[in-house]
Amino acid sequence: MRLLRGVDWILLMLIICLAVLGMVTLYAAVHQGDVGLWQKQLTYWGIGFAAFMVICFVPLRLLGLISWPFYIVALLLLVLVPLVGDVQMGARRWLNLGFFNLQPSELMKWALMLILASWFATKEPRSLREIGTALLLAVVPAALIVNQPDLGTTLVLLFAATSMFIAAGLPWRWFGLAVIAAIGSLPVLWHFMHDYQKQRVLTLLDPQSDPLGAGYHVIQSTIAIGSGGLTGKGFLQGTQGRLHFLPEQHTDFIFAVLAEEGGFIAVMFLLLLYISLITRILMVSSRAHSRFASLICIGVASIFMLYITVNIGMVSGIFPVVGLPLPFISYGGSAMVTMLAALGLVMRVSIESKDRIPWQRPGSPLS
Amino acid sequence: MQKQQLEGRQRFDVRMLFFFAATPIFLGLLAMHLLQLQWLEHEKLALQADNNRLNIVPVLPVRGEIVDRQGKGLAVNRIAYQVQLIPERVKDLDVTLKKLSGILQWSPDKLANIHKRIKRSRPDRPILLDDKLQWLQVSPIAARLHHMPGIDVEAGSYRQYPYAELTSHLVGYLSLARKSDTDEGFLANEFVGRTGVEKSYEKVLHGSLGYQQEEVDALGRRIAVNKRTPSTMGQQLRLALDAEVQQAAADALGDRTGAVVVMDVHSGEVITLLSQPGYDTNRFITGLESEQWQEWLNNIEKPLLNRATQAAYPPASTFKVITSLAGLHAGAHLARGHTTCPGYLELADRKLRCWKRTGHGRVTMQDALIRSCDVYFYELGDQMGMEEISDAALQWGLGEKTRIDLSPESRGVIPAHRPYMMAAMKNESSKRKKWFRGETMIASIGQGALTVTPLQMARMTAAVANGGKVLKPQLLAGVEPEVLHQASVEPRHLKTVQKAMRGVVEKPYGTAHRALANAAWKVAGKTGTAQVIQMSQDDEKEGYTPEQILRRHQDHAWFMGYAPYEDPKIAIAVFVEHGGHGGSDAAPVAAAVINVLAAQEQEQAADK
Repeated sequence: MRLLRGVDWILLMLIICLAVLGMVTLYAAVHQGDVGLWQKQLTYWGIGFAAFMVICFVPLRLLGLISWPFYIVALLLLVLVPLVGDVQMGARRWLNLGFFNLQPSELMKWALMLILASWFATKEPRSLREIGTALLLAVVPAALIVNQPDLGTTLVLLFAATSMFIAAGLPWRWFGLAVIAAIGSLPVLWHFMHDYQKQRVLTLLDPQSDPLGAGYHVIQSTIAIGSGGLTGKGFLQGTQGRLHFLPEQHTDFIFAVLAEEGGFIAVMFLLLLYISLITRILMVSSRAHSRFASLICIGVASIFMLYITVNIGMVSGIFPVVGLPLPFISYGGSAMVTMLAALGLVMRVSIESKDRIPWQRPGSPLS
Repeated sequence: MQKQQLEGRQRFDVRMLFFFAATPIFLGLLAMHLLQLQWLEHEKLALQADNNRLNIVPVLPVRGEIVDRQGKGLAVNRIAYQVQLIPERVKDLDVTLKKLSGILQWSPDKLANIHKRIKRSRPDRPILLDDKLQWLQVSPIAARLHHMPGIDVEAGSYRQYPYAELTSHLVGYLSLARKSDTDEGFLANEFVGRTGVEKSYEKVLHGSLGYQQEEVDALGRRIAVNKRTPSTMGQQLRLALDAEVQQAAADALGDRTGAVVVMDVHSGEVITLLSQPGYDTNRFITGLESEQWQEWLNNIEKPLLNRATQAAYPPASTFKVITSLAGLHAGAHLARGHTTCPGYLELADRKLRCWKRTGHGRVTMQDALIRSCDVYFYELGDQMGMEEISDAALQWGLGEKTRIDLSPESRGVIPAHRPYMMAAMKNESSKRKKWFRGETMIASIGQGALTVTPLQMARMTAAVANGGKVLKPQLLAGVEPEVLHQASVEPRHLKTVQKAMRGVVEKPYGTAHRALANAAWKVAGKTGTAQVIQMSQDDEKEGYTPEQILRRHQDHAWFMGYAPYEDPKIAIAVFVEHGGHGGSDAAPVAAAVINVLAAQEQEQAADK
C-alpha cells in the first residue's frame, strides 16, 4: 500500500496525455498507408507500460548493486560490435543474438546513467582524480559508439553525462573548460566524421543546395510545419503528409505531421506536456531520499530533453538530421519500451521517497 | 564533514534551479523558432506546400471538324479508347494480362512486348497497353473494371478523314507537334495541321486550351481534380467543296494522274479541287511508318504533290482564249479578219506546224478557236507581240498566285515575269537571251516557257464567264466574294470569245463537241493538248520502266470551260497528265462533273 501511496499521479497523467496525443498523431501519419503500424504501436505502449510497472517494484538499492556489472557487460558488448556486429544501413551497431538484434549502444545509455549516478552518489566531482575517472567511464563508450558510427546515441551519452556531472557538482570552471575543449575539437571531429554525416551538417547550413537529395527531408518537413500555420490544416487534412511529401513521417519526422495538421496550437500543447514532464521528473529528483535517486532522475530528464530538442530542431531545420525519435510520439517499439522503463525508474524514486525526508536536507533528522 | 555535506546539498539545490530553468528556456527557444515558421513564414511555406501538391495540367481542346458544303464530314473526330495499367496496383499481373489479351485479341508477340515494357517501367506509372480501340472492343473490360484493379480505360478523340484519298491535298493532315511547334506554344502531345486546310486554318480549328488543377502526391500520381477551366472546341469549318462532285471528278479521272478544279464563277468558291493520285491521310494519325513516307516521296506519280495548285503545266491551246482576248484588246487586224491555214507557217528557215497537217483553210478567230487552229494564232501573236500577250495573261490572273488558302502555291510562268525577256524584246539589252519572234508565236498557242496551274486555269475561265472579275478562290462556303482585280476587256470582245468557246462544244467540228454536246448543261470551253518534251536519257537514268517512259512522253490533256452558257454558274479546269488529247481525254471528265452538278441543281429545285 505504501507502493500505491507513493505513486506520482501527475507523472502518470502526463504519460497518458502523451500516449493519447501520440496515438492520434500516429494515426494521422499512417492512416493512408499501413494502419497496422498503429495497432503495433498500441502493443508497444502495452509492453512499455508493463516494463514501467515492473521497474516500479525494483528497489533502487538493487539497481545500485548491479550498476557496475551492468556497465561492464554493456561495455564488453560494445567492444564486440566492431568485431562480430551486423551492418545495417551502413553502420555496424547491432549484435545478432539469434532471436533478436541487440543494440549495445542502447544498453550503454542506461548503464552509463546508472554507473554515474552510483559513482557520484557518495562523492562530488571536485578533484582531478574523481573527474578523470568519471570522465573515462563516459568517454570510452562514447568513442566506441561514435565509431560505429552512431552520432545520435553518442550525443545522448555525452549530454546525459554532462548533465549528471553538473548536477553532481562539477565546478563551473571545469564545465567552461569542457565547453572550450569541445568547440576546439570540432575540426578534429569533422575530420573523423563520415561523409553522410558531413553532408547532413552541410545540408543544415543550406538545405536548398541539394533539394532532392539530403536536403529533401528538411525542406519538406519545414514546409509541412510552416504550412500548418497557427491553427493547422485539420486532422487528416495535412497535404504534405497525406500526399507522401514528408519522409519518415511516422518515425523521426512525425513532429511535422502534428505541426501541419494541428498548427502552432498543437505544437505548444506538446511542448507544454514535455516541459511539464521534465519539470515533474526534476521535482521527483529534488524530493528524492538519496543522492543516487536524484541523479538517476537527472539522467532520465536530460535524455528526454535531448531527444525532444534534437528531434524537433532537426525536423524544423535548425539541427542536422540525427536519427533520434520524438519521445512517445514517434513510431517504434524499443524506444517506447526503454523510455517508459526510464519513467518507471522515476516513479520508483517517487515511491521510495514518499514520506521520507530528502537526502541531506538541512534540518533533516538523518543529517 | 557535516559542513561539507551540507554544502553538497546546497550546491545540488542551486544546480537543480539551473535545470528547472533550462527546460522551459530551451523548449521556449524551440517554440519561438516554430512560431517563426508557423506564423511569420506561414504564407510562404503554405504556398510551397501548394506548389508541391498542385499541378496545372492543360486540357487539350477538341479540334474543329471540317465538313463539305453538304455537311459531309471530311475531317472528323472519333472517340477512341485506350487501356492503361498501373503495375503496382495489379494483383496478379499474368492473369490480368491474359484476360486482357483474350478480350483485345493480342498477338503473342504483342503480349510478350507488353510484359517486357512492364518490367522496364516504374511500377507506379501508368503504362499504355493498347489504344485507338472502339467501344465494342473495350466494353467487356469496362464492365469488369472493378475485378481488375490497376486497369484503366480512358476515352480520347482522334482525327479521321472519311474521304482520305479523295481530299488528301485539300483537307491535308495533322501530325504530332515537333520541336519547332512546341517553340511556338503547342504542347508536345498535340496534333498540328501540316498541309491543306488543316494547316491554313490551324488557328480556327485548334480551339483553346483548358486547364485543370490537379492534386498530386510525392510520386506525381493524380489524387484529385480541384478546379477545371474547360477547353473550347475549335470552330467547325464548312468548306465550299462538294465531296459528291469531287468524287465524280475522281471517278471520271479513274487511275490517271491529273487535277480537276471546279469554281463558282461569282463567288470564287472552290467546289472541287482534286489532285490525283491522292494518299491516305489517316496514316499520319495512326503514326506513319517511315517506309510508307519514303514510298510516297519517291513514287514517280508524286502523290504528295497537289497538282491543282503546286504544279504548273503548259496550258497549250486553252491559252488561245487569252491570245484571242489580247488580240481583240490590242486591236490586231487579224482579230477582225481571217487568214489561211495550210497546216504550217514558215518563219525564216523554220516551219511551225499546225496540229492539223492538212491545214484548216480559211479561218477567222471563231473558227480558229473552235477548231483550235495553230497557224491563226501564230500570226495573231506575231502581229501584236509578246508584251500584249503577257499583259493579257496577267490581266486574267495567270502568272500570279491565286491567294487560295493553301500553301505552298505555284505562280506558274508567264514570260513577262522575267524582266530580261522583256528587255530582250525591246532590244535594250541582250545579255542573257534574245527573244525570238518564233518564241512569241509558240507562246501564242500556250507552249514554250508558259505554264499555269489548274487552279489558275479555272479562275481564268471563271473570269471569262463573269465578265472579267478575277476572284480569290474561296475554300470556305458562304464567305464574301473577293474580286482581286478586274481584267480590262470590252464586253463585245468578251462576247466574241465566249461565243467561240460555246462553238467548241456546240459545233460538230468543235474539239469538245463529242464529249460535251450532250452534257446536262450548255457548256462553253476550250480543249488543249500540251506537247511533252522529255529527255529519254534522263528517263533511263532515273530507272523508269519502258511502259512508264512511253507514258511520260504522252501529251498532257486540258479542258477548261464554264456552264451553263447563258447563265454561268461554275467554271471547270481539267488537267490530265500525259493524258492524250484535250477533246477526247479531258473534256469527258468535265462532262461527268457537270452532269453531277446539273443533277444536284435539279434535285434542289425539286425539293423546293
